[in-house]
Amino acid sequence: MRHRGLLPVLLVLLSAALLPAALAPRASAAPEGQLTWAVHVSLAPTWFDPAEAPGIITPYMIYYALHDALAKPMPGQAMAPGLAESWSVSKDGRVYEFVLRNGIKFHNGEPVTAEDVKFSLERYKGAASKTLKERVAGVDTPDARRVRVRLKQPWPDFLTFYTSATGAGWIVPKKYVEKVGDEGFKKAPIGAGPYRFVSFKPGVELVLEAFEGYWRRAPQVKRLVFRVIPDEATRLAALKRGEVDVAYSIRGELAEELQRTPGLTLVPAVIQAPFWMYFADQWDPKSPWHDRRVRLAANYALDRKAINQALTLGHSKLTGSIIPSTFQFYWQPPTYAYDPPRAKKLLAEAGYPNGFDAGEYFSDTAYANLGEAAVDYLRKAGIRAQLRPLERAAFFSGFKEKKFKNLIQGASGAFGNAATRIEAFVASGGTYVYGAYPDIDGLFSEQAAELDQKKREALLQKIQQLVHEKAIFAPLWELAFLNGVGPRVGQSGLGLIAGHAYSAPYEDVTLKGK
Amino acid sequence: MKRYLLARAGFALVSLVLLSVTIFAFVRLTGDPAVLLTEPGASPEDLVLIRQQFGLDRPLWVQYGSFVAHLARGDFGQSFYYRTDVLDLYLSRLPASLLLAAVAMAFSLVIGIPTGVIAAVRVNGWWDSAGKIFALLGLSLPSFWVGLLLILFFSVFLGWLPSSGSGSLLHVLMPAFALGWYFAAAHMRLTRSSMLEVLGSEYVKLARLKGLPEALVIAKHALKNALIPVLTLAGINLVLMVNVAVVVETVFAWPGVGRLLYEGITARDFPIVQATVLLGGAMIVVVNFLVDVLYAVIDPRIRYDR
Repeated sequence: MRHRGLLPVLLVLLSAALLPAALAPRASAAPEGQLTWAVHVSLAPTWFDPAEAPGIITPYMIYYALHDALAKPMPGQAMAPGLAESWSVSKDGRVYEFVLRNGIKFHNGEPVTAEDVKFSLERYKGAASKTLKERVAGVDTPDARRVRVRLKQPWPDFLTFYTSATGAGWIVPKKYVEKVGDEGFKKAPIGAGPYRFVSFKPGVELVLEAFEGYWRRAPQVKRLVFRVIPDEATRLAALKRGEVDVAYSIRGELAEELQRTPGLTLVPAVIQAPFWMYFADQWDPKSPWHDRRVRLAANYALDRKAINQALTLGHSKLTGSIIPSTFQFYWQPPTYAYDPPRAKKLLAEAGYPNGFDAGEYFSDTAYANLGEAAVDYLRKAGIRAQLRPLERAAFFSGFKEKKFKNLIQGASGAFGNAATRIEAFVASGGTYVYGAYPDIDGLFSEQAAELDQKKREALLQKIQQLVHEKAIFAPLWELAFLNGVGPRVGQSGLGLIAGHAYSAPYEDVTLKGK
Repeated sequence: MKRYLLARAGFALVSLVLLSVTIFAFVRLTGDPAVLLTEPGASPEDLVLIRQQFGLDRPLWVQYGSFVAHLARGDFGQSFYYRTDVLDLYLSRLPASLLLAAVAMAFSLVIGIPTGVIAAVRVNGWWDSAGKIFALLGLSLPSFWVGLLLILFFSVFLGWLPSSGSGSLLHVLMPAFALGWYFAAAHMRLTRSSMLEVLGSEYVKLARLKGLPEALVIAKHALKNALIPVLTLAGINLVLMVNVAVVVETVFAWPGVGRLLYEGITARDFPIVQATVLLGGAMIVVVNFLVDVLYAVIDPRIRYDR
């Protein structure tokens, strides 16, 4: 009888104990399972160390897992708070103060402090490190959670450079790096990201494991494996067999086959890499390209939609700009319709009723297929150009050293904002600039000294408007990076962060049904 | 004999020096690695910084001098891309290449020798024609295409074998076949011609006249002698297999030195390309040297003639 009386009480106690666990969100469950990526490029140990960020997008595939930044691009936000919960700028634009989150830790259990932030910035030696060092006067750490970066002069792009265009804002543990050295760090990296390092075979495989103490949320997948499979067809075969769950970079006919395969999904990620045709001779009065009508004719001669459909299954973005649409200060220009009669009319008005020989169209061999399509469309309108594909390094060297003439197929995946792209490709003295316009140069100098963001935005958008009006370029597309996702994947992380080519953030990646 | 050995060693050394000069010059003709390590649009300062970091801003003769000085200490330099010791990287990949070469060699011998013997015994018959077609295909089909067909059939269609990577014996089967077929064809051709020569020799005729069964004549008397040149070739081919499997290792994502060379070439990683080519060349030079020495030991005419 006494037992009968106790039973309801025990049941109530048991329910009370189990109910919270049953009602808890799935995210708090312990991470489980494994997801495997077939990666198209060789993974390098330098990508474990943000101090060596080379200015290309690929290492961010690893940074988003191993490390964390003060602020970084996240889903829906170009600059989301990361390890820093907030930041502020002094009125004169010379001091930026960051406040770190409370209780954040590295994978070895040590707290992330202001000293680590200072160390990471001072240690940074990757792309644009010279620019940063020339402009940063010093870094102060008033307390363990507060970091002040002092600039020599006001620099409106400081946050862009610090949080996304370089690896300087990605934080590494000072004590650990000093203990093991730079080389030791690359062999066993420790960060403050959602996944900790387990093992690495250079060029072959990287294995990471969930770091449950990650501040944003505990990752849901226990183990991430990145397998390097250089051949595209082999990557697709591995995906079809379920040996990998996500396969990066599946293009052309293989992408079509991927789409046809039951259980597999094609996931495009439009990346911050626009492609365009550059009229290199437009400043030469003897060249047909000097006439704006000819440049407009080339723009109307291109059937961008058809090219996009044929080469990237319609997933690339036709923005009509040379600046990534996700970049700060971007201005959306009107896009050109495919209008061959108009192109021919413009050519006739410019004095070329029978078209003209346009010389060579220089392109990087990796994207010669895009050049081939563009050249075909130009020819249909009467602009007779010959495709001249060059190996990537030779192409960019020739482009940079101003060795090319006629037409150049430009492209860039570099980080930055509209100003950094205009600097490289439009304004006088830019690395890839063959000629300039005084009105654009004037506006560009003006914006560089402007601290008011709204005024600066207006200036940069005015420049983009002029670029469009003068038809300096014939923009082609913003490239879609095509990937395959297998049936076990719930959330692949692809396309969550605007302009980012790879899966991220990894703490949001899930297996189906988990 | 001592003079002969010294002369051979001297030739081997000269070959390696010439190889080092050639590969040093050739990799630099391919272009600037800094361009591949940055995104288009990178500032000229960044490119200069990268060149300085790798010592590529120095005159070529200074770079070569430094390369040879480090080489003399057994230091092949640091990879531009992996930023790690190239020799360590090479040694970490070598076991996979040795395994692949060993299995591919087993394939090539198991397939090449019996088909060569049958083709010789049934000369100008159906088997001989089939053997010739097999050899022709093996020598002419590109290994990347064979590899992809194997993956499609055995991995995707039948689902029997893993498509790529390493880790189990099943992983090595397809790459070993794709690599071994070419060499099987070469071994088949040599076995066939060698067998034909031996089968026409006096001692084989005598064995037949003595009334020995044909199988015994072929297996015991003919094959034994016919295999000598085949096994000599197989020894040299084994070294080649370790070093030439660039395409096969890339298609199957096999982590060997061939794939390392591919990675070095695509990333314009000069130290990796220099090290893999030089170490591969050194292997071939050493094997040739040993073969020369063995020949000299076996046949005194060689050491007196040269």
